[in-house]
Amino acid sequence: MTKLARRAFLISASVLGGGLLVGAGATAIGLQRIAAFEVPLDGGRAGFGAWLRVAADGVFEVMVPHQEMGQGIHTLAMMVAAEVLHLPLSAVRAVAAPDAAVFANPVMLLDGLPMDFHDDGLLHGATVWTLDKLLRLLGLQGTGGSSSTRNIEPAIRRCAAVALDMLRRAAAAEFGVDEAQVSAQNGVMTASNGRAARYGELAAAAGLLRPRNVDLPPLTAGRLIGRAVTRPDARPKATGVARFGIDTRLDGQLYAAIRHAPRLGGRPQTARLGPTVLGVRQIVSGADYVAVIATTFAAALAGLDGAEIVWDDRAASNLSTGDVEAAYRAALDQGPTYARRWVIEQAGASARVGGRAVTARYKAPFLAHTTMEPINATALVERAQVTVWAGHQSLSLAKLIAARAAGVAPEAVEVRTPYLGGGFGRRADLHYIRKAVEIAMAVRGTPVQTIWTRAEDLRDDVYRPAAMADVSATLGDDGMPTSLTYRIAVPSVTDQFTARAMPAAKGGLLADRSAVDGAVFSPYQLANRSIEHFSVDLGIPVGFWRSVGHSLGGFFFETFIDELAYAAGVAPLVFRARLLAAAPSATSDRAEVLLQRLASWDMANRLPIVAAGSVIGRGVALSECFHSLVAQIAEVEVTGSAIRVRRVHAVVDCGCAIDPANTIAQVRGGIHYGLSAALYGRIDFENGAIVQSNFHDYRALTLADAPEISVELVNSNAPIGGVGEIGTPGIAPAVGNAIFAATGQRRRSLPFTL
Amino acid sequence: MMALTVNGTQHRLEVAPETPLLWVLRDQLGLGGSKFGCGAGLCGACSVHVDGAVVRSCQMAVGDIGERAVVTIEAVQEQPGIADIAAAVVAAWVQAGVPQCGYCQPGFVMATIGSIATDRSQSREAVLGQLSNICRCGSYDAVREAVGITLDRLRHDAP
Ligand code: FES
Ligand code: FES
Repeated sequence: MTKLARRAFLISASVLGGGLLVGAGATAIGLQRIAAFEVPLDGGRAGFGAWLRVAADGVFEVMVPHQEMGQGIHTLAMMVAAEVLHLPLSAVRAVAAPDAAVFANPVMLLDGLPMDFHDDGLLHGATVWTLDKLLRLLGLQGTGGSSSTRNIEPAIRRCAAVALDMLRRAAAAEFGVDEAQVSAQNGVMTASNGRAARYGELAAAAGLLRPRNVDLPPLTAGRLIGRAVTRPDARPKATGVARFGIDTRLDGQLYAAIRHAPRLGGRPQTARLGPTVLGVRQIVSGADYVAVIATTFAAALAGLDGAEIVWDDRAASNLSTGDVEAAYRAALDQGPTYARRWVIEQAGASARVGGRAVTARYKAPFLAHTTMEPINATALVERAQVTVWAGHQSLSLAKLIAARAAGVAPEAVEVRTPYLGGGFGRRADLHYIRKAVEIAMAVRGTPVQTIWTRAEDLRDDVYRPAAMADVSATLGDDGMPTSLTYRIAVPSVTDQFTARAMPAAKGGLLADRSAVDGAVFSPYQLANRSIEHFSVDLGIPVGFWRSVGHSLGGFFFETFIDELAYAAGVAPLVFRARLLAAAPSATSDRAEVLLQRLASWDMANRLPIVAAGSVIGRGVALSECFHSLVAQIAEVEVTGSAIRVRRVHAVVDCGCAIDPANTIAQVRGGIHYGLSAALYGRIDFENGAIVQSNFHDYRALTLADAPEISVELVNSNAPIGGVGEIGTPGIAPAVGNAIFAATGQRRRSLPFTL
Repeated sequence: MMALTVNGTQHRLEVAPETPLLWVLRDQLGLGGSKFGCGAGLCGACSVHVDGAVVRSCQMAVGDIGERAVVTIEAVQEQPGIADIAAAVVAAWVQAGVPQCGYCQPGFVMATIGSIATDRSQSREAVLGQLSNICRCGSYDAVREAVGITLDRLRHDAP
């Protein structure tokens, strides 16, 4: 197709698009957005705006600006495109989107802003609409915040509908019939006069037509949507064919092993290679690390083990876990001696309403991510060009950080993204790309793959922050809360992240919603709430960890709600239902449905009888996060000091489960991730050095101790919510509440011990 | 120079004998299906078969292998005696949608094939009891389902 003809798509679409957007909400996608960019054809037959093109082999390629890290976004994007286009899944392929502003992810950023997304007022709607526009201008591509599907699904749906219309019109012209007489099915346009052609044959002609506005097909169950499909990446992943960042293999590639200063803030003073090791090339020092480059990773590691490294600890931290706890305690006990970053006070909250008071203090430790694929990145630094092969959660930041490290413009950086062996927020913090580029600069012109051993992966992590919270409430005569105060001491992940990723940006201007997530906006809408965040940052690096602030707030808040239920003498499920009923809203209605389902499951599945010496109990938790709702119940058996989670049942409302099997897998995965943390997870520091170093002292669940998790989906047809992180926040409180039900012992600190 | 038989092919390698098998497979023989997860025998991502037994290749020095035959995920479906098990495990893995990020999966699949091969008449629980691989994505429920599907299929197809 000629350049001129392709531009016609863009121009006519943008003219049309202006009109289309009138009265549209923030997530409505006009032609403007899909036509704001033309995807390079790469030898293909035709392009349809930003999101779709037909490749030379006739396959429809859908652009996916999100990294595949297990959440199934490639498959989901393909399903949506195939559904609208009346194509089998096999006729569609997911392709990594280029770095263009149209592929930005404002959804993820919007979710981080200190606004109550429950607000459905006009002013709020207009604010969100405007912010969406502004954030889109930032052009930041990113994968996180359980936002991938929410971000791209509407645009793909719109683009596919427009493309289908163009194909139909091309067919009508080709067959000499009226458009209405052409029907689309299974990749073929058939006319009433019996003539037929495959989409691929019509693509070139269709691509020349002017796009026009068509009705956006609704996101509802169809041929593919709402049904279980076989993920195209399942077989390659099961057979070892799938390639991850660590599998990058290039001509002449070298390997580097990296070792960080044992204590935070330590620096290498001197670093010399020891006795000769076959294959070792050289030793490199960075700000807080030493690396050895060799022809194989095994040689690099041997070279590093034999190297003589002296660390300069003059600026090193001497913090221990106990110091962090003491600082939190001081902040909570002595009040706002630290910056108060977030205060919501609703009328009357500060003037305590009389009645019986319930108070509790909770705490949670630092956590590491331990993605299954240890951190690694491969870099090739040439004179005017830098190429990086790495799993990451933001193409835009990966380019920016690689460019800054090499002292080139971001345009001189190319980033190739294989599969990610897990993200969980860890691969949003890209200092590992900076280090890999720095190391590769020592051997310009040669690609170097730097691999973090598991110990280094743990040492160089950005941790889920430890936190402490005081929660208190007053209860009225009916046992229902009349006021609630939630005060949390925790560093601001958002401030630290911003400072690391974009040092020029001014962080700390806004309240950090992630610090109070899980408590600040909840489906309960309690009256007289006061919520305060004390930002206590002692310099331990913290970052995004699956479900971020919800992983803390979810535990603190839902454990406290349970305590209130027992204080009121009301069954926990009933108490939660009463809280919801006290302040009805669209969200509380949805939540009530989930609680009812949970109650039915609880009735239908009687508590098993356990052996003498053991006790058993169930606990529940309700979470609202990433615009989805999850209610879960955990069944826990306690024998002496041993805690065994036997099974978990979760009921989920994410609006619409596009791929139900994948939704279930994500919820299970989120629960397992949270459960590993609740039962075993803690990262400690001693004199500034991390204590844990591998899976023996930072345990993860295995089959033997992983409970069976059943998941029930409720399609409420509410706007689609995220699913990748929603299982995580509720599992710790559900288990803790079950421990209480079984033993009468309330556990307010993670990980659980008895 | 050291001789090593991998997937039926004999290789002569220049390598220090204490080098873990995992790195020889990945960096010298171009067999990237065996994954590095912990380097300490704790996660199973690096699982291979050595003379039919499931071995965590990060814990086996290449110099200790001798004449024994190493089989990796890349060729396990062509191994006489276990090819049908391997095919059934892979098919069940796809059917049950086990892989999420997928990184732990080749090791999980190798461990499962090896466990079933020790005794095809084992119960599902007996097979599951031998699997101690770590999956950080939490695919365990799907693994349980896939092992069940595999055993059903093998029994159904048994002569
Ligand atoms: S890498 Fe070998 S067991 Fe983990
Ligand atoms: S599928 Fe990701 S670690 Fe198992």
